[in-house]
Order: sequence, then C-alpha cells, then structure tokens
Amino acid sequence: MSRAAKTYKVHIQNKSLDIACSAGQSLLQAAVLAGVDFPYTCASGNCGACVSLLDSGKINMLPYGDRALSTEQRKAGKILACRARPRSDVTVTWLGRGRR
Amino acid sequence: MASTTAARREKACAKLLQAVDAIIAREGITPSALHLMKGKLIGLARKTDLFSVADFALPEAHGRNYPLLVSTADGPSLYLVVAQPGKEAAAHDHGIWCISAAVSGQELHRCFRRTDAGRDPNQIALTQIGAVVVAPGTGLAMADHDIHATAVIGDQPAFLLALYGYPLSRFPSVTWYHPEFRSMRASLSQRHAA
Repeated sequence: MSRAAKTYKVHIQNKSLDIACSAGQSLLQAAVLAGVDFPYTCASGNCGACVSLLDSGKINMLPYGDRALSTEQRKAGKILACRARPRSDVTVTWLGRGRR
Repeated sequence: MASTTAARREKACAKLLQAVDAIIAREGITPSALHLMKGKLIGLARKTDLFSVADFALPEAHGRNYPLLVSTADGPSLYLVVAQPGKEAAAHDHGIWCISAAVSGQELHRCFRRTDAGRDPNQIALTQIGAVVVAPGTGLAMADHDIHATAVIGDQPAFLLALYGYPLSRFPSVTWYHPEFRSMRASLSQRHAA
C-alpha cells in the first residue's frame, strides 16, 4: 500500500500567498507549478538565483554548491528554494538575484 | 613535499594547456580536436597524487571549483571540481566547449537534445539521447551547445578535471533547461569582461 507524501503549507511572503508543497518537492517546484513567478535560473543548487530567507519552519536541504549559498548565509537563515524540501509548514521570502 | 607537489601540478597543467593550444592551432575546435583534448585530460587525471584532498579540501557544502590554470584572455582554462555524492546540475549547455575527466569518484552525465520547436522558451522539451559515467580513466567532451545534466553518484566524493574553452569568469551565458516547468533560463553572460 503506497502512502502519499505529506503535504505542508508554504507561505510566500513576497506574494502574501499560501501554496501546498509535498515533502518530496522543493519549495521552488511547488511555487513554480502553482504559477508563482519565483526567481530561479539553474534550479539545481548551483547559481543562487532562488536564495530565500526561511522566516519560519523546518526544511531539508538537498546537495548544493558552495558558490550558490555560503556557510555564513546558511547560518543567517538563508536557503536555496530549489534545494529545500519542507519538514513542516514554512514561511519564506525570496531575496533572489534571478534574471528579473 | 607539498611545494614539490604544487610545482609538479603546475608543470603538468601547463603542459596540458600547451598540448591543447597546439591541437586547437592545428585543427580548430572540431569533434576530432575535442576527442584528442579529452585524451590529454584523461592522462592528466591519472596523476592522482597531484589532485588529492590534502591540497584541495572538500567543499563546505557539496560542490566547489578550484582554478588550476586559468587563461588571462579567451583561452582554454582548467579547473578541479570537487563534489560530494548527490551534487547535481539540471540540464544545461555552457555555450562553450568543455571536457570532463575523473581523478576519482564518479559523475553521471545524461545527454539531451531539444525536441520542442525552439521558438518558445516556455515550451521546452528535451529527449535523453545518452548517458555516460565519467570515472577514472574516462572522460566526456561536449561542444558549445551540447546539453547535459550531471550528478555525482556512488559513495565517494568526485574529483573531476574540467577544461573549458574560456575561463569561468569570461563565460558566455549558460542556458538551463527545465522541462518540468517547460521553461529555460539563461545565466548572465560574463563576456563583458572579455
């Protein structure tokens, strides 16, 4: 019997918008597939365009490059939305240096 | 001892780039030239003692590039990529030729071609046309607009030599393809520095 992945609520501060994100999805995937114009370029942890502030909640980070997010940034509560999977309801604010 | 290793590494990297320059001068950038350069890069990657963790620390996160010998102009430039298992890159093309060869560890490259009409950046579709595992003794050469996605596989960090047609600091725009979003995105070109 298969179990559906748990779904969490992601509040995107920039848009004052709530979206659903499954535990197996990145915040970026959930946002883009929900039609949110979240900044991104590589969407795989290399460029840093989707760097965001984790205002509240818990996430797991998939592997990423040192240039995309520094240890100091991580300690300051910043995350890469393309690498972050929720472990609770979360609130994020994108800081992106995306193409816009 | 460390300085001896550094000197040997510097000499070996310089010798590689001399050979690469000679191939390009003779043939230009052709599939045959890329193949020859790949063979040279695999040869350098076999000198594993020159590219050890003693001289190139593991990344703080999961991936880091070390410049080995970088052109001050628009010349081929050599880097060492150190990455942990699971480190990946979505499908992309560099806009410039590149060659990868493994010192240690393994990196899976999935190769793609575009199957959309090429007119709408919001209608991207890719088809996988092959896959190559770059491991010690092997390498992969790609032309300017070949599309590949990478992932470090196995349970060991990968130490990979990466030879690019330009220095990273003078790269043209890298194009990233996201079929799951049906989108493509381009990084900012660094060519203004050229």
